[in-house]
Amino acid sequence: MTHRIWHKPSRTLLAATALIFFAVSAARAELLIRITEGADSAIPVAVVPFAESGQMPAGDKVSSIVQADLTMTGEFRTLPPEKMLSLPSRREEVYFRDWRLLGQRYVLVGGLSRSGDRVQARYELFDVNREERILGETAAAPASNMRSLAHHISDKVYEAITGVPGAFSTKLAYITLDTANGKPRYRLQVSDVDGKRARIRLESQEPILSPAWSPDGEKLAYVSFETGKPVIFVHELATGNRTKVADFPGLNSAPAWSDDGRSLLMTLSKDGNAEIYRMNLDTRQLTKLTNHWAIDTEPSYDATGKGIFFTSDRSGGPQIYHMDTPGAEPRRITFGSRYNARPRPDNDGNYVYYVHQRDRAFHIARTELNTGEETILTRTESDESPSVAPNGRMLIYATRQNGSNVLTVISADGGAAYSLPASEGDVREPAWGPLVR
Amino acid sequence: MRDHQREVTTTGVPPWKSPVALSVTLHLLILGIALAGWSWTSTDHEPPPRSISARLITQQEPEPSPVVEPVDQQKRDEERRAEEQRRKEEAERQRQEEEARRIAEQKRQEEEKRLQQQKEQERQEAEAKEREARKAREAEAARQKAEAEAKERARQKAEEEKRRQEEAKRKAEEEKRRQEEQRKREEAERKRQEELARQEAERKRLEAERKLREQQLEAQAEAAQRAREEEARRQREAAAAKAREAQMLSESEKYQALIRERLSQAWYPPSSATEEMTARLQITLLPTGELAGVRLVSSSGNTAFDNSALGAVRSLSRYPIPNDRDTFERYFRQFTIEFNPRRLR
Amino acid sequence: MNFSAQSKAFALLLSVGLVAGCSSTGGTSEEGGEYGSDVAAVDQEGGSTVYGGDDQGGVSSSAMTEEERMEARKQAEQQALREITTFYFDFDTAEIKQEARDVLVAHARFLANNPGQNVRIEGHADERGTKEYNLALGERRANAVQRFLIVNGASRGQLETVSYGEEKPAVMGSSESAWAQNRRVELVFE
Repeated sequence: MTHRIWHKPSRTLLAATALIFFAVSAARAELLIRITEGADSAIPVAVVPFAESGQMPAGDKVSSIVQADLTMTGEFRTLPPEKMLSLPSRREEVYFRDWRLLGQRYVLVGGLSRSGDRVQARYELFDVNREERILGETAAAPASNMRSLAHHISDKVYEAITGVPGAFSTKLAYITLDTANGKPRYRLQVSDVDGKRARIRLESQEPILSPAWSPDGEKLAYVSFETGKPVIFVHELATGNRTKVADFPGLNSAPAWSDDGRSLLMTLSKDGNAEIYRMNLDTRQLTKLTNHWAIDTEPSYDATGKGIFFTSDRSGGPQIYHMDTPGAEPRRITFGSRYNARPRPDNDGNYVYYVHQRDRAFHIARTELNTGEETILTRTESDESPSVAPNGRMLIYATRQNGSNVLTVISADGGAAYSLPASEGDVREPAWGPLVR
Repeated sequence: MRDHQREVTTTGVPPWKSPVALSVTLHLLILGIALAGWSWTSTDHEPPPRSISARLITQQEPEPSPVVEPVDQQKRDEERRAEEQRRKEEAERQRQEEEARRIAEQKRQEEEKRLQQQKEQERQEAEAKEREARKAREAEAARQKAEAEAKERARQKAEEEKRRQEEAKRKAEEEKRRQEEQRKREEAERKRQEELARQEAERKRLEAERKLREQQLEAQAEAAQRAREEEARRQREAAAAKAREAQMLSESEKYQALIRERLSQAWYPPSSATEEMTARLQITLLPTGELAGVRLVSSSGNTAFDNSALGAVRSLSRYPIPNDRDTFERYFRQFTIEFNPRRLR
Repeated sequence: MNFSAQSKAFALLLSVGLVAGCSSTGGTSEEGGEYGSDVAAVDQEGGSTVYGGDDQGGVSSSAMTEEERMEARKQAEQQALREITTFYFDFDTAEIKQEARDVLVAHARFLANNPGQNVRIEGHADERGTKEYNLALGERRANAVQRFLIVNGASRGQLETVSYGEEKPAVMGSSESAWAQNRRVELVFE
């Protein structure tokens, strides 16, 4: 055996180890930071008052209508104009650093110009941090219709930021109750989504209930007691013509439209107790969809247009049920309390919203249809008549506030609330109209 | 009460004074009075019950006064005419569709006939081909047989040749082996001689080596001592490096947490964000903490979501970074941020 | 037999008395209606007739027997019961309460005896919960009362039901007491 000086090989070994060590440390992945939660507050947006050239019609400014629209969703916090450092109306005038200092994420600028009886709006929306324009458009409207122009801009801005179409050009239908000459006065009214431009469509000394929009937004179905008992009418908004479609013995109530606008679901008790029927509006033919001694009422088609949600107290108290197809065996949806009623599903098939009793209070709640998880959305305690916006992002409902009945809009996940300015008397039974095509 | 006439029996008193007559008269009287009495108190019909007036609970029959919208009549007419026009066009279109369908049906039948004729022709052709193929096959078989016979003859020849060669080889090998054995015997002898000589030399050499080794051991002991000292020093240095490393790591973690917090507050995920969305951005910072560059490394698939992440990253004018330059270089010169919402509300 | 004129007259008198007694028994109960027209009905609102006055036109009331008194009392009780025309319910049920049963029986009997009499049965609910469900609940309550009346003698043709749900409260307000007073069925005699 040969003997060599062995610190030579050890030196090689050391060198090799060192090499591996460095290699490993170089390959050690660079730092990864995970962000799993966002800000819990609304996105700061600055809506700069639009520059004006020409005589603008009287009334609210376009930018303040846009500001109110965005605020109503609960998703945005708008900057009061008095806090703005400058009032740009085009890109060259926008100093992004200023807006960053003010903490704004988006800034909307624009200009209005009048020609004859039309007003043209040119507007641009900028992402302050990325210093990029994410929306730019011109739109025009008659000078008498500035509010619609403003709502159109709000729709576009909302969609550019969130990816979801805005619902600001939709209409609301609702019932008001006050007194005239010592007698009750019920009025069916239709207004903009912010409660403005309300117009009376029906006036009666007897109750009016359950207004329901046809899918094309041109008709309302509702229940009227004008003949002394509940009867369903279909009312054409453009002409004011109305047709009595259900006047059977007993109840005629809870109308709900099919997606093609050619049939109505309704609750009738002509066969002994409250059951759900479908009426073909062309032929007036009835199909009975439930058959149970319990109360079955408040039907509503689901997002597929085939299945039906409804309220039934077949298990002892009112609960939400679902039939996959009309007339199929119903499946119970709600279990969390002893009173759940008036289901209103959104258009995407994600959630169904309803009135839910917890302890002694009545709230609006929603159930996520995939998971069955239930969430209570409101802190108010005498809530009724939830109606979902057609883009699924907002909800309107009726509640009591300071002793009178008002309408309140909340974001669909229960965030910020916004009460519609109360007009005369009590307001109830809101119905959110469809998206305008 | 029936009249009761009995035989009058004389009793010695005049008939109209007899007790019987008296009792009859009395009874008749009673009867008369009673009957008269009945007719005095006449039976009324039951008086009808008082008419009951109802208590009004609800207001009666209000007239509905629907507010009719001012109708744009002209627009309505136009729409109706347009509707009619559409319906006419619809009817026309349907008629044309019907015609087209009939023509198509005719064409289809003709096509079928043609296809049938074609099929017949093809079948005949196939049969002729089959006959030819058979002939060819037979010729081929004969040829192959001739080939096989030739091959067999060649093989036999080759085998004989091989046998002859092997015989010759065997003879040559034997000769070689005899010679080999001779050589080995001579070799072995020679080796024995060498061995003896070698062993003598070996003894001499070992002695010399032993002396050499002694000297070497002494040198080694010294070297080992030096190496141990070296090792100790190296370990001290490594420990110091590790401590430094740990310090850098904890520093970096502290600043990681700071950055995470600031970015969370600055991030507004869009309302349509879901837990499946993940956006990864690679950040490059300047030693001042300012953003040198940001790059979207992996998109979430949703533009609004990606933009929200980019916006958040860009909204920080200065990132919190450690003062120590080494730590900065190691962790914060370039790093990755991943945005992925968990349990939104 | 040797009757004195005195004893004959006495016998005659007794017979007269007996006959007079027979005829007046039937008259007392029916007289009230006839004589009642002299006295105006006291309270029309309760929907019941009130027989007024104790002037019975000369017929001695002390001649009423025990069973006559009992019958009169029963009639008065039934009338008193029928003054009640509103019936209350617990939250989210249409169950007729025990105390309502006797009253409803009295009404049913009355309707059975007066086939020309019609009544409208109006069902209500308190303001809590949803309007449409409350409309159906009010109807269920009205139907329960209707069934009860039929079972106890009224005929279907006399009865009409309607539900107003929560739309026509009897008492405004959002207290337990207001709610309790609004969960009701009302009989409206036509």
